[in-house]
Amino acid sequence: MSVELIWALITGAALFGVGIYGALSQTNLVMIMMGVELILAGALINLVAFWRYLHPDVAAGQMFVLIVMTVMALEMAVGFGVAIARFRSRGSVEMEEAAELKE
Amino acid sequence: MITAQAIFIGFFGVAAVWFGIVVFRTFSMVRSAIALLFSQTALGAMFLTMQAEFLGVLQIMMMATEMSIMAFFMVMFMMDPGGMGKMEMTHQKHFSMIAGVVAFVGAVAIAVFIDWGPIANTVADSAEQTKALGLELLGRSMLIFETAAVTILTAMIAAIAVAIKPIPREEAKDKA
Repeated sequence: MSVELIWALITGAALFGVGIYGALSQTNLVMIMMGVELILAGALINLVAFWRYLHPDVAAGQMFVLIVMTVMALEMAVGFGVAIARFRSRGSVEMEEAAELKE
Repeated sequence: MITAQAIFIGFFGVAAVWFGIVVFRTFSMVRSAIALLFSQTALGAMFLTMQAEFLGVLQIMMMATEMSIMAFFMVMFMMDPGGMGKMEMTHQKHFSMIAGVVAFVGAVAIAVFIDWGPIANTVADSAEQTKALGLELLGRSMLIFETAAVTILTAMIAAIAVAIKPIPREEAKDKA
């Protein structure tokens, strides 16, 4: 058992937990996106740790990291697009005021 | 055995988690965006410590840009971006806290109790890693890589289409 791997995985778990808390507890769209960023950051550190300590000879591990980074950028781009549209139509990006989207 | 690498991973890991917590504890939105930037940078430093040089540098560069943009959006969209009024912007706090703790404990239990098998102590140098990654992206994983590229293009078009100010129908007819 490697101390480095375990510490990296615990860091990933903590970032994942903090991200879950943020994504569920915040009322503002931009803050919710920050929570999702932390969740993906937790996934990133796990992927790098698995590549480094379990399969450093397989480049597909690094490729997965690039894909997750792409997902992070896309989440931001689309999220901000939605935020601009919402702000333009309602003057706020507070999710408490977006209940009509459920209807 | 505690190595220098383990110490640095621990240090940057604590920094990443600490700044991650600060994101949701501060009332100032700019501080919040900067805390997330520091958290992601600490993560990049962890990648560098784990000898993934290319990914570490990419992470730091990408997040620096991404968080700067995020800070602008925070100031634009928040009712109290400076946090001077100490506005409460949370809901279902208790449930969220429990969900976060359960996720953390579950993931730690998996990390600690699973036998991960033999650990690799050596890794190729950064030039070799980058070359192997390039060959992987343009070889076996080309379809996935190209799919990511098309997805980025689609998301860019979608984001612009959603964000652009709609022209009223009458005005559009007149222009036509």
